[in-house]
Amino acid sequence: MHLALAAPLCVLGLAWQRHALGVDPQKALILESGIWTFNLLVLVLLLPIGARWAGWPQLLRYRRAVGLWVFTYATAHFTFFLSFYLGWDLARLAEEIAERPYVLLGFAAWLVLMLLAATSTRQAMRRLGRNWKRLHAGVYFALAFAGVHYLLMIRSEWAWPVSYAAIALALLTLRLRRARRAQS
Amino acid sequence: MKKEKRTTRVTDESTFRRRRFIAGSLGLGALGAFSGLRYGDGVSVAKETQPQQVASADSDMLVSQESGARLTTKYAATHYNNAYEFGWDKTDPYQKSGAFELKPWQVTFDGLCAKPGTFDLDDLMGMPFSHLEERIYDFRCVEAWSMVIPYNGRPLGDILKVVEPLRSARYVSFTSVLRPEQMPGQASAFSTLDWPYVEALTIEEAMHPLTFATFGVYGDQVLPQNGMPFRITVPWKYGFKSPKFVVRATFTETRPDATWHIENPREYGWYSNVYPDISHPRWSQATERRIWNESDIERIPSRLYNGYAEEVAHLYPGNRQQYR
Repeated sequence: MHLALAAPLCVLGLAWQRHALGVDPQKALILESGIWTFNLLVLVLLLPIGARWAGWPQLLRYRRAVGLWVFTYATAHFTFFLSFYLGWDLARLAEEIAERPYVLLGFAAWLVLMLLAATSTRQAMRRLGRNWKRLHAGVYFALAFAGVHYLLMIRSEWAWPVSYAAIALALLTLRLRRARRAQS
Repeated sequence: MKKEKRTTRVTDESTFRRRRFIAGSLGLGALGAFSGLRYGDGVSVAKETQPQQVASADSDMLVSQESGARLTTKYAATHYNNAYEFGWDKTDPYQKSGAFELKPWQVTFDGLCAKPGTFDLDDLMGMPFSHLEERIYDFRCVEAWSMVIPYNGRPLGDILKVVEPLRSARYVSFTSVLRPEQMPGQASAFSTLDWPYVEALTIEEAMHPLTFATFGVYGDQVLPQNGMPFRITVPWKYGFKSPKFVVRATFTETRPDATWHIENPREYGWYSNVYPDISHPRWSQATERRIWNESDIERIPSRLYNGYAEEVAHLYPGNRQQYR
């Protein structure tokens, strides 16, 4: 499974090395790593739904692994942005975060994912107890941030960003409905 | 040798002046529209150097033979384009332009001018393609990447003079071709742009000697992805102000619409001069990624009016904010 999840990143890396990413590989790397972050984020949230609907509880076991890969791809995406677009100028990063909502949202999503990755160990689970579940529901914030982050990138062609936003919205709605049902 | 730090304008100054002299002499033959566009028999014309580039020992490094300036490789400049007529992806213009017919091509000049008319491409060139002037310009996209490209053409002003714009003409509006059957981007249901593409310049901008009627790049006329067979190149503005596949130029008194400006006026100003200190709402314009080739992309500071401030700053008196 790890092999499958690492594959897109490896393919990207290889394509980069072989100059197969077109004239502007920097842009391609940023776009592709962003899309794959989103794909895996959707996948990790589909796992519990799949477990319930298909009656496959063993799917739940893969949540941590897939989640860590989401963070890996998000980190790659962020690193490419920092390196290619900002030249590792952290003062400019601060400026960009302050001035541009899509950078702010992307950065916020990455922070959430980092927090979740950092608290993904068994030890952290034990220490946080019931709060761990609450904290990790934060993945839905990352999803919402990522959805709007992508929508804000639209120039004229809207099909892909809108599709992803629709998927994100559907996942959020499902989760909220379940939460409400659990309360009542 | 790989990282050449030179970022100044690359057209050699004396070459530029000599060519201005030749271009200026064009006006002498302005008897009728056609002869006005053509080099007259009485005007002696030094044969222009064939546009040529040589690849240096490092095959990824392209250098202009004439000025020694480093150029973006032809491959990069022809395989990474914005031409939403063919699609929104940078590879669509070269991949999806196969059905596009470059010939025949006519351009209509109308509106507030004394001698409106429709001209064939050959008339507009007024000389064999190989005799056209070559200008090396920095091309700066609003998306904060740039290339250095050799353009083949002649100053637009020399063409406009021939149709004699009236005193009341304050703007020139350019209309691109509308051919959804040959341009899949125009037929796409997912694009929010209105076709055909329109762009416009003030009459002073259009007549400026740097504004270039372009019939080819890298000595090649057969490149729809670069806006051929006829585009206008305005090097001190963001790339979308340089309309491609132009079929009509109309002189007007009131300010004409421009496609990207209508789409989102906050993000794409009507003037859209290159101002490094005025950010696009979604990204900074302070620096740009200079694309030399697929494996050499350099981050460099952007320059006021894309480095052409000396030539054009006088066109924009007062607060620059109004010319964003």
